Amino acid sequence: MEIRPIFSALLRNSAGAILVSLQIAITLAIVVNAVFLVKQRVDTVSRRTGMDEQNMFSVRVTGFGKDFNFEAMVREDMAMLRRIPGVVAATPTPQVPLSGSGSSTQFFSEPNEKGNKEPVAYYGADEQAIEALGTTLASGQGFSPEDIEYRDKDSPALPKSGKVIVTQEFASKLFPNQNPLGKTIYDNLSQPVTIVGVIDHMQGSWVSWKKLGHVMLQPQVGPGPSTQYIVRARPGEMDRVMSDVEVALKKAYNNRVVGKFHTLADMKRRSYASDTMIVVILGVVTALVVIFSALGIFGLATFNVNTRIRQIGTRRAIGARKLDIVRYFMVENWMVTSTGVVVGCILALVGGYILSTQYGLDRLDLYYLVGGIAGLWVVGQLAAWQPSRKAAKVSPAMATRNV
Amino acid sequence: MFGYYLRLALASFRRNPGLTALMVMAIALGIAVCLITLTGYRAAGNNPIAHKNDVLYAPAIDGWDPDQPYDKDKPWRQPDLLTYRDAQALVASDIPDRKVIMYKVADVISREDGDMEPETIIVRATTRDFFAMFETPFQYGGGWDEKADLGPEPVIVLSKATNEKAFKGANSVGKSVRWHDRDFRVVGVLAEWQPAPKFYDVSNGAFEDVEDAFIPFAFGKQFEMGAAGNTNCWKTETIDSFERFTQSECIWQEVWVELRSPDKVRAYREFLDNYVTAQKKLGRFPRPLNNALYNVEGWLKFNDVVGDDRKAMVLLAFAFLAVCLINTVGLLLAKFLNAAPVAGVRRALGASRRDIFWQHLVEAGVVSVAGGIAGVLLGLAGLWALRTWYTKVIEEFGRVLPFEAGSLVLAIVISLAAGLLAGMYPAWRIGRAPPASYLKAQ
Repeated sequence: MEIRPIFSALLRNSAGAILVSLQIAITLAIVVNAVFLVKQRVDTVSRRTGMDEQNMFSVRVTGFGKDFNFEAMVREDMAMLRRIPGVVAATPTPQVPLSGSGSSTQFFSEPNEKGNKEPVAYYGADEQAIEALGTTLASGQGFSPEDIEYRDKDSPALPKSGKVIVTQEFASKLFPNQNPLGKTIYDNLSQPVTIVGVIDHMQGSWVSWKKLGHVMLQPQVGPGPSTQYIVRARPGEMDRVMSDVEVALKKAYNNRVVGKFHTLADMKRRSYASDTMIVVILGVVTALVVIFSALGIFGLATFNVNTRIRQIGTRRAIGARKLDIVRYFMVENWMVTSTGVVVGCILALVGGYILSTQYGLDRLDLYYLVGGIAGLWVVGQLAAWQPSRKAAKVSPAMATRNV
Repeated sequence: MFGYYLRLALASFRRNPGLTALMVMAIALGIAVCLITLTGYRAAGNNPIAHKNDVLYAPAIDGWDPDQPYDKDKPWRQPDLLTYRDAQALVASDIPDRKVIMYKVADVISREDGDMEPETIIVRATTRDFFAMFETPFQYGGGWDEKADLGPEPVIVLSKATNEKAFKGANSVGKSVRWHDRDFRVVGVLAEWQPAPKFYDVSNGAFEDVEDAFIPFAFGKQFEMGAAGNTNCWKTETIDSFERFTQSECIWQEVWVELRSPDKVRAYREFLDNYVTAQKKLGRFPRPLNNALYNVEGWLKFNDVVGDDRKAMVLLAFAFLAVCLINTVGLLLAKFLNAAPVAGVRRALGASRRDIFWQHLVEAGVVSVAGGIAGVLLGLAGLWALRTWYTKVIEEFGRVLPFEAGSLVLAIVISLAAGLLAGMYPAWRIGRAPPASYLKAQ
């Protein structure tokens, strides 16, 4: 292989080659780190919520005035909402999953703050909780109407019925490799509650929380005067159901405020807004930087071919085949790309290191680097293909002409 | 001479319109991406009350769980809020020139006498110095006095928007509104006021809306209202009444102090240390002594308002700009060297190396100016698109990406500097090329 002569030729006119190598190096550093960041965000955003969030919405209602009765309002509203055609289920709850607002506490697998300890986001809800959230029980059962307790300000925090439903993820941390159904767990004052149902999977309120899948439902409503209603509609009917519910709620009572309606899909979008923006900006930048690098390689190869027409003609005249010419330029280009890739590896690792230490992002996964190198080699060869073909078409007669 | 070089440059662009467009586009995209990320970075890095940066301080003390720090990833960090009792103690000091204790509550506002759609509003329960310390502009009236804080007297300051809703924007000072089923007398109405970031309380997002109204702090306890913001607890304790809650280790309150001299800052730091040490003797504050007094900038940094993501994005944006510039250098070089015989003829006819250099630098300059203008336009279009998309998701997010002159100027300066830098080497290189070799080949 004619590596040596190609290398000497490169050295003789090195400015362009160095520039393109440098460009490829920085490109590799950007692409590898950006793709890594984007992949992480995309994975985060596309996690399963465990709910039917495409068909759910929520609204906050707040009562006021002297003769306002919270329990009566919630019971009447629920009865009314569940009669509206297209409503699958509805439940009152103090906070809405995926919204960024919520409450959390911790539970122990044994009394007196012993055994395994895990934090959990908890939501009060009534007997339609599972249906209204669009989640599924892996085992056990939901709440029955008798379990539901309407709390006032001074009620104890834990449900009177002593029943809770928890997610599989939370339960398995408290009781690894055991069936959690029917097990008793304790809060930090050693008060017991029993797991009567296990949810297959469901996300809580804070999308950046490491324990997002730790969720507990409690058969409680209130205390008032304010609560959220979560309504689940039949697929495709949400918009109509939402406006029907709005009209019905506003008509039903005078001494209360009906807040804005939010779909759960919107809540989710909102919670992930900054992640989405990062994905968009980084995605665009990554695409652009690859395109520019390809154009840079293309430009250099074209320039090299144009300035060496006579040389190519001479080589053809003394016996080089078209294939040899193509190979010459492809190898030359490969050398330039490879130099860039080697420097780029260092830059990418340094960049990844800075991002992880200075800016608290995760450490770069080396598979991305390998992928980036392979990708740039391919891009480089593709970009050099057309100029190399053009070089091969140079006629041997050019050797004798002035260019 | 400049005019002549400009004409030469334009002629050269006409010879290779595709190549020229590519160079302009490369610079433009680099500038646009930098403009967008810089805008986001600068908006978050903004200090809306910079002139009082070294006068306003937020104290932070660490009474958190002995077994684990408040923030596991950053163990040096104090909790970002205070317990009720600690906040009361810190604000009781005589050292500060002004001081404020506060938290957010929420309930329904309505009017007995007028037509107003009842609405749940966020209210800041705070003390009288709030308005002077943070320099809130008033449209009508003003804040309240010490007597109103001590009473507490049912007085309220409305935001401009709330006054629009309740009184259609008229001067409502002296009128009353109903909030939490009590009558409050309006003493002041704020003019438009939305510091970004909302430096005095970033616990629910740095770009959150300013509260809809303000009432004397003591009503919070009188009405037994929990926080409409964050409440965090770590300790095992029975909390069965509001009174017990105010004595608990749960954090949900905020304190700011105004300290006008370095001596006072020192004195207040000492006061903090003394307070925590005394509390340690009572069995509280099990963690090592870790007190801090943050000025505004320090507070925004402590709360990580700028965010690591934004910094990383700026870094990547500049790396991208570098690629675009290197690309442009390469293309300019190829273009100039392709036209080297022309330069050779000019040299042979008497042009000096310097003339050739300047001629080509002008050409590079024109490319960079065009790229800069296109980049700024492209960046503004990108910002507009992101804002439109963002505000659809979150109303207050227009503040995260404001159109502001600072970033624009910065982008223009960067593009000019970058373009000239990019033109420097190719222009020098072509100026150095020996004319004879090119003439020979003709």
